[in-house]
Amino acid sequence: MATPSSQKIDWSPQNWPRHFYRFFTSFKLATVVLVLMTVVTLLGTLGQVEHGLHAAKEKYFHSFFFTDKIFGVPVVLPGGLILMIVLFLNMTLGAIVKVRKRWKGAGLLISHIGMLMLLAGGFVTWAFSTDGYMALYPGMSSNRVESYREWQLEILPLSKDGVAEKAWIYPAENLETMRSDEQRIIHAESLPFDVVINGYSPNATPIPTSAPMAAGVTGKEIDGFKLSPQKPSKEAEQNLPGCFLEIRPRDGGAPIEAMLWAGSYRFDPREKPMPFTFKIGDQLYGAILMKKSWTVPFTVKLDEFIFERHPGIMTARNYESRVTRFEEGQPEKPLEIKMNEPMRHAGFTFFQESFGPSGSQPGDEMFSQFAVANNPADQWPLYSLIVTGVGLGVHFLIMLVNFTTRSRQRHAKTPASL
Amino acid sequence: MRSSLHFLFWGVFALLVGSGSLAEARELPKSALQNYVPWQDETVHAFENLLVQQDGRVKPVYTVARFTLLQFLGKSSVSFETQDGEPHRLHYAAWFLDVLFRGEIAKDLPVFVIDDSEAVVQIGVSPKSKRDRYSYNELLPGRAKLAELSAQYAEKQDQHEKSEKDPEFELDRIEGMILTLGRNISSFEYLVGQFGFAKKGELLVNGNILPPELNELAKRLDTVEMMEKMPEMTLDQLVQTVRQQPGATEEERMFSGALRLFFFHANSARGMNFFPPQDPADEVWVSASDLMLAGLASKEKRPWVKEQLGGISALVKAQGEGEPAFLAALEAFSVKQHAMAEARGEGKHSKLEIQLYRGKWFYYSLVSFVFAFVVMAFSWLTPGSKVGKTLLLVAGLITLVGLVLDVYGITLRSIIRERPPITNLYDTVLFITGTAVLLGLVIEYFTRIGVGTLVAVVSGVLGMFLSMKYEAKEATDTITQLVAVLDTNFWLATHVTIINIGYAAGLVAAIIGVIYLSGRFFALFRKSSNPDFYRTLTRMNYGVICFCLFFSLVGTVLGGIWANYSWGRFWGWDPKENGALMICLWTLVILHGRMAGWIREIGVHVQSLVLAIITTFSWWGVNNLGVGLHSYGFTEGVWGALYTSWMVLGVFMAMGAVLWLKERGERASRKVKFPTGEEATA
Repeated sequence: MATPSSQKIDWSPQNWPRHFYRFFTSFKLATVVLVLMTVVTLLGTLGQVEHGLHAAKEKYFHSFFFTDKIFGVPVVLPGGLILMIVLFLNMTLGAIVKVRKRWKGAGLLISHIGMLMLLAGGFVTWAFSTDGYMALYPGMSSNRVESYREWQLEILPLSKDGVAEKAWIYPAENLETMRSDEQRIIHAESLPFDVVINGYSPNATPIPTSAPMAAGVTGKEIDGFKLSPQKPSKEAEQNLPGCFLEIRPRDGGAPIEAMLWAGSYRFDPREKPMPFTFKIGDQLYGAILMKKSWTVPFTVKLDEFIFERHPGIMTARNYESRVTRFEEGQPEKPLEIKMNEPMRHAGFTFFQESFGPSGSQPGDEMFSQFAVANNPADQWPLYSLIVTGVGLGVHFLIMLVNFTTRSRQRHAKTPASL
Repeated sequence: MRSSLHFLFWGVFALLVGSGSLAEARELPKSALQNYVPWQDETVHAFENLLVQQDGRVKPVYTVARFTLLQFLGKSSVSFETQDGEPHRLHYAAWFLDVLFRGEIAKDLPVFVIDDSEAVVQIGVSPKSKRDRYSYNELLPGRAKLAELSAQYAEKQDQHEKSEKDPEFELDRIEGMILTLGRNISSFEYLVGQFGFAKKGELLVNGNILPPELNELAKRLDTVEMMEKMPEMTLDQLVQTVRQQPGATEEERMFSGALRLFFFHANSARGMNFFPPQDPADEVWVSASDLMLAGLASKEKRPWVKEQLGGISALVKAQGEGEPAFLAALEAFSVKQHAMAEARGEGKHSKLEIQLYRGKWFYYSLVSFVFAFVVMAFSWLTPGSKVGKTLLLVAGLITLVGLVLDVYGITLRSIIRERPPITNLYDTVLFITGTAVLLGLVIEYFTRIGVGTLVAVVSGVLGMFLSMKYEAKEATDTITQLVAVLDTNFWLATHVTIINIGYAAGLVAAIIGVIYLSGRFFALFRKSSNPDFYRTLTRMNYGVICFCLFFSLVGTVLGGIWANYSWGRFWGWDPKENGALMICLWTLVILHGRMAGWIREIGVHVQSLVLAIITTFSWWGVNNLGVGLHSYGFTEGVWGALYTSWMVLGVFMAMGAVLWLKERGERASRKVKFPTGEEATA
């Protein structure tokens, strides 16, 4: 009898769909993808020690391919995105379409459907969800959510009393792609000047030129300061970008230069941002690096923030916020948001995330920080768990019955023991 | 198989005998004490019942004593020999009683273990052997240098944390030891000086701190009486006054000296919060130091403060009058303290907590598993015989006893903290051990071939040994208060429990793999083999891997749902989440690889060892990375143990590789080559 390996494979184009189908439905592909996913997950976990969570996520899990050194040898590996796409295809075709539908395999079929739901939920979350935070002191209210990591350039026309009007924004998506040696000249229709950005660094700190460490910093000097690029922090939220800004008036006036640094932005909800101000004609403008922000369709007011520590130690026992939700056309709604008990409304979820300022002592006035997520697939994991759990439960029950029955029969026939 | 089991039996026997004789041969450290009069049991029991608030909860002194001695010595008893040649072994509660009430004796007890004599050389103390135990008085000549170096290394350690673990600031082994010793000596001094305010003239810690005239003054000064006569003063004012130069007159100098003594005693009495607060709404218990400062700051509080401190003064006085009087005073103090705590709804499980530690449930559980192993080893001498089967059954029953003891201990811990069984890393060890043992026994119930019992016994021995080593290494109270995010019994009972069942199954699969691979490997050197036996092991392992997948997957997704409730996202690629995911992925690799025809019998067992490596990485390794949101589970210093265990598993994998190569060779030799080059099986 000839072995399967001896059969000749017909590679003619009309057979390609069949080959494609066989390839994507094979257990071998599933096994390879699962092995690679394990390897990538391991590398992504270890990578967090060196790069921090955000950078590791982008490199290993939100990528199609990446390069890494394994025992000192550079290796190109598929990233999490491509692996999950292939796994999704493999499961759909192999475990749902191709599989023989019989009662014995019902559990496996159900559990694979559950896992597909989970993967689909992961994709929807990755593609469509947003997350940010809102920090409030008691008595403060807001409908604005800020990004943790994304910074944008805002140029704000200011009224005579310093109040900002509608801002011109150079979006975070564009800003964070800039290299340090790159210069971008932006012609903004709504502004009477061109905006030139250069020397952008995703994490920087201004240092006085008189400081000894300034000697090694290249780049412009503005008002006795240089912008010193820093190694990106492992906690991406801690990065404070900086750049040089040049305002070129279109009426031929003298250009204005400034150094912008994210440290001028507020980190306490009660502080006010401090933009660089300049005048073009009679109009006063402010320029500042601000966190990207967006609004939710309702306002949240923090009425009370309750913070408890375990007696005699610094470990937080509980922190919860009593809030009132205001929404047009709706009655005011008093609510509680605490650890493990978020507020879900209008597609947004508010989680009790943290508190501040850091180093607060009992009795100090503290602000409450909410993580605000908008995730269309918010509850999909729960549905997927139910489906998968039922599927696996049914399958393993069938297996267990088979195993014990066979073991007893075998035991009765041929005693074998240690 | 049988010859290899014989070898294993005699190996175990030799190990047990050898370790026993080694223990006997160890010399006791000689104490500077001329003789030692032990406390009566009743006195120690009355003392250990006292309550203290520490680490955010009210607990018996018994617990504090246990973990303090573990922290200093890495053991729960002090052994030494007095000058008169009499050996003594002090239980931690008795030792702690000495520390608080007979400080001069405690200072001569060898309770500070130093793993490398280089550390004591660096502080200018004459070393004993490479690893040895020292008393406080033996280390006293190096006290100043120790303070200087430990402050320096504490600063370095702080910089290491702040610089996101820059290796430049990492402490080396000796520096780490000196820092730990500095902290332990400091803790000891606070404990010894705790009741100094009530011991006229006994400064106890270091008499050289004060000038001679103050030592004389200390013999006459009653701190509590002094407080009553003082003007109202805050701590800041006290510190400022103490810092000022004393006036010229004798009276002014005496007043200044008395204030310095008061400050000294108040400072020494920090840390042990023996007293429930006066205000029932206040949650924080207070120490004698807090009381003294509260009394100094407010005349209104002085009567209450005097009453509280009077309790300690009465104890100290009674201790000087002899043990019966001391016992009576301890009981009186205890009754009063417990009544106050009970009125506040606190300390209600203190007796149970003492029972938890005194019962040594986990220790006896380990003993049971070891005993079961020995009985089982005897059964291998006559496998298949009636005696062998009976011994196997007895081993199973002893294992069950070990399991019951483990479960009983876990239950006590759950009741004491009023939480589900797992709230920290230590709990996971106890729980995973119990689950693995139970799994082994269930397997045995269904298969009756002895493998399940062996799995249970090995899991029990390794797990309980690990729990004891971990407790001694950490040397901190293992009944901990929860961070806010864990304050949910629902998720602790579901996600945490289920994921740990998954870990247990992953480890059980590896033990079965080890039995299979070592059995077949050693069978290579003999003619006979039992393929049915090994096929049963493969089916068994396959079932356990499926079990592991079910619990790991459900536990992981439940964890994601919990994260979605508390942190706002289902999945964040956090190291702990990734660890759980890798377990799920690898079980799926095994199951799919088997369906693909890539993994057969040997493959299943070898891959189960990889699964164990991933499981241990997920369980312990990620906690060592120091990154992620599961910071409440962080630990340090386990890489060495992990690497060792992975190398051991690697040896068994190598056995698997040998078996696979041999099988492959045999398969190839059974094939016939046709002239055309096509192959066919013969």
